[in-house]
Amino acid sequence: MTGDRDRTRRSGRRRWRPAWWRWWRDARVRSRWTGPLAAGVLALLAAALLAAAGLAVAGYDPVAAGRALVAGAFGSGERFASITLVRATPLILTGLAVALAFRAGVWNIGAEGQLYAGAVAAAWVGLAFPAAPGWLLLPAAMVAAAVAGGLWTLVPVGLKFRAGVGEVITTILMNFVAIHTVAWLVHGPLQEARGVFPQTDPIALAAHLPRLGAGRLHAGFPVAVVLATALWWLLRHSAWGFRVRAVGASPRAAAVSGRMETGRVVLGAFLLSGMLAGLAGGVEVAGVTFALYENLSPGYGYTAIAVALLAGLNPLGVLLAAGFFGVLQAGAAAMQRDVGVPAVWVSAIEALVILAVLAADRFLRRGAVEGSPSPGRTGVPARPESGGPDAPPAPDRA
Amino acid sequence: MKQAARAPATVEMRSVRKRFGSVDALSDASLRAFPGEIHALLGENGAGKTTLMRVLCGALRPDAGDVRVDGDEPRPGRARDAIRAGIGMVHQHFTLVPSLTVAENVALGTRDGGCARLRLERVRARLAELEGVTGLPVDADAPVAGLSVGAKQRVEIVKALYRDPRVLVLDEPTTVLGPREVEWLFGVLRALAREGRTVVFIGHKLDEILRVADRVTVLRRGRTVLAAGREEVDAPGLARAMIGGPVAERSPPSARPGRGGAAAGARVALLEGVSAHGADTRGPGGGMAVRDVTLEVRRGEVVGIGGVEGNGQRELALVLAGRLRPAAGRARLPAIVSLIPQDRSAGGLVPGFDLAENTALAFHDDDAHRRGPLIDWSAMRRTAREIVAGFDVRAPGWRATAQSLSGGNRQKLLVGRELARSPDLLVAENPMRGLDIAAAAFLRGKLAGLRSRGAGPGREPPGIVLFSTDLDEVLDLADRVFVLVRGRLVAVPERDRTPLGMGRLMLGSDEAAPTADHP
Repeated sequence: MTGDRDRTRRSGRRRWRPAWWRWWRDARVRSRWTGPLAAGVLALLAAALLAAAGLAVAGYDPVAAGRALVAGAFGSGERFASITLVRATPLILTGLAVALAFRAGVWNIGAEGQLYAGAVAAAWVGLAFPAAPGWLLLPAAMVAAAVAGGLWTLVPVGLKFRAGVGEVITTILMNFVAIHTVAWLVHGPLQEARGVFPQTDPIALAAHLPRLGAGRLHAGFPVAVVLATALWWLLRHSAWGFRVRAVGASPRAAAVSGRMETGRVVLGAFLLSGMLAGLAGGVEVAGVTFALYENLSPGYGYTAIAVALLAGLNPLGVLLAAGFFGVLQAGAAAMQRDVGVPAVWVSAIEALVILAVLAADRFLRRGAVEGSPSPGRTGVPARPESGGPDAPPAPDRA
Repeated sequence: MKQAARAPATVEMRSVRKRFGSVDALSDASLRAFPGEIHALLGENGAGKTTLMRVLCGALRPDAGDVRVDGDEPRPGRARDAIRAGIGMVHQHFTLVPSLTVAENVALGTRDGGCARLRLERVRARLAELEGVTGLPVDADAPVAGLSVGAKQRVEIVKALYRDPRVLVLDEPTTVLGPREVEWLFGVLRALAREGRTVVFIGHKLDEILRVADRVTVLRRGRTVLAAGREEVDAPGLARAMIGGPVAERSPPSARPGRGGAAAGARVALLEGVSAHGADTRGPGGGMAVRDVTLEVRRGEVVGIGGVEGNGQRELALVLAGRLRPAAGRARLPAIVSLIPQDRSAGGLVPGFDLAENTALAFHDDDAHRRGPLIDWSAMRRTAREIVAGFDVRAPGWRATAQSLSGGNRQKLLVGRELARSPDLLVAENPMRGLDIAAAAFLRGKLAGLRSRGAGPGREPPGIVLFSTDLDEVLDLADRVFVLVRGRLVAVPERDRTPLGMGRLMLGSDEAAPTADHP
């Protein structure tokens, strides 16, 4: 190729663009998925290169480390299902929770706390009704988990709508409350009968999620996939999903349109986000741990933010992104065992991915939007519109 | 300014091209402006006026073409170089930081505010100096957020003048100003030109341009189609150049259909003693933006409300549209109210949504556009297509987002969508603002048709409430005329139905209006 085709003779000063630039610029106009998808791929490549460089500098063999990671995550079909997909399941659910909230313009950083709330509820249901039949107990535990996750958002929701307190801070603080409440529960009221370990007794067998196949893969995974697909479809095709997207993209335009109560939409999305994260906790207890204990989650609720961002806040993308992080976490152990690379390197790689996603997004965005009339500058103060107390209520209709 | 034209050009732009995505914003645009002249740049919406000026001031890099200032070597399109070359720009949209004071805003981007510590003495001194030029006091320590729109515009101009530019570019500066402020602005521009500076002025209103400009350049679809001195052109000629054909003249008042004679229909909306909080100013000193307003609107009539911007128009419009609950009083409103809000880019459309999605903002829960809880996107696209065709919205494609449209096309999309709702009541804030002549004439026709015939067969005509800062527009379109002064609605008696008479009423208790006299 000859480089940039729309370079003209008259403007030797013009910045040189590679041959694909024009294709890229037009592709962004043709399909809105081109941008996020390419940003994700580019970010992964960049993060992999950076991680490899880091490993090499630290004296490890990056190729061997990568090989061990992939082998650990994929190895055999069974290993993939038992470890990687099981790891990915809570990431999908919490990733959906974060993606939904962010789509609605709600900065719910509290998926971790909501997950713990859900785990507590599921464990309690699984412990309190040992005699209940499975067809009742398992759904009850899952519903309880989701409801508990939703309830855990009520403090941030109340503060946001009543007092205008930003949910970023309140949801983070509620994470600590949840984590320490769980610690107290498993040392006190809910501690196992023997009183040795800080954990609960195992939950009733009837509350276990059914296993799929011979490995440890449980029914939570297909449920998460179905939920992701459903959420994607609803955001795209339902009136509710459209309202969520509109309120998230421009609270002002959504309010002025007069066809939605922005406060109610935000509230609904916030609660549903908490419910998805709570369900993640319930699924973890009923599918993996079968008991409640401290550090039940290795930070799923935080990794979920990276998952949602890597996915471009698209629920189907969350599946891919959560799968990717599942691979990383499943492979981390193998990497440590086989090549001696500490597992914390995976945390560094995760962080690199997030940084790379943000950078790639900015970089690729320039292609199409460079210099186009910027809609942001309107002289309107860009204050975060909570939509809560300001939600335009309906006056009397004559 | 004949002799000035013989001096070398200050600004020389030749055959400038600029592409956004697959759209040619500029294909062959040229402009020459000389020292000491006021140069008007004209064109329809999306003709490329703003783009050309952003190229000049370095915000955009042209794809091709020459840009010279004072015969210097072409600049690579960097804002810093443009500032150094002495180009100041007043943008169409405000570029002020609301939470900072006037002096702090002016100090932004200069080195006069001090380095490590903020020291504004020098800025204040220079602002006081500029008062001499502009003839208007500016309170240097007032926070910008609390200023009226007109006052913000003055701050924008002062900010541009602060750097002592040789070339001052103003993008549609008069749209937010009342008639007296426009006179003030023109006085300032003439004074600047007398000092030998070059003023480039983007505008829509031909009478304004013919009054103030020395030379005129007309853009049509990214091309320069006319460049001439003031004495060589007239209004019809300019209009022809802009749209490439003759325009329907504004109909004289007597010929307007139904004016006064049409019996207004049933009542559609009633406000009784309504007061409302300011949308932005809920803090201390915010008080009521709308005070004790009583207003009845009937089907088939246009209620015109004039006034200097920032006197409660936005809040009253929101109350009328049912989007803001009154703090006091009663609002009886019909089921479907269309609202064309003030800021078309932030208020009515979602920048990142495409045409169908922006249409869906008004129709997503409408029975004809959904199947149960799902949106019927093919019906939505049909409606969007009707709007695009009916209002001549020029978009680069079906998946084009609102932010990729020019300001005027965004406005057309918004107006089209709101009229398509078949409202019982239409509330419009400055609906013609930013529209070119053809689009404004088209919209006038639509409003007139809506008033007399309704939105469709079997539909009764809606009541229309038109807010405008353009008094001619209010007088031209409205059956009943009011002015809004500091949140109070004042009926304009028959004898005062002239821009002057209304201006007097608007000034009644408005100390904020400019008081300095200018020729």
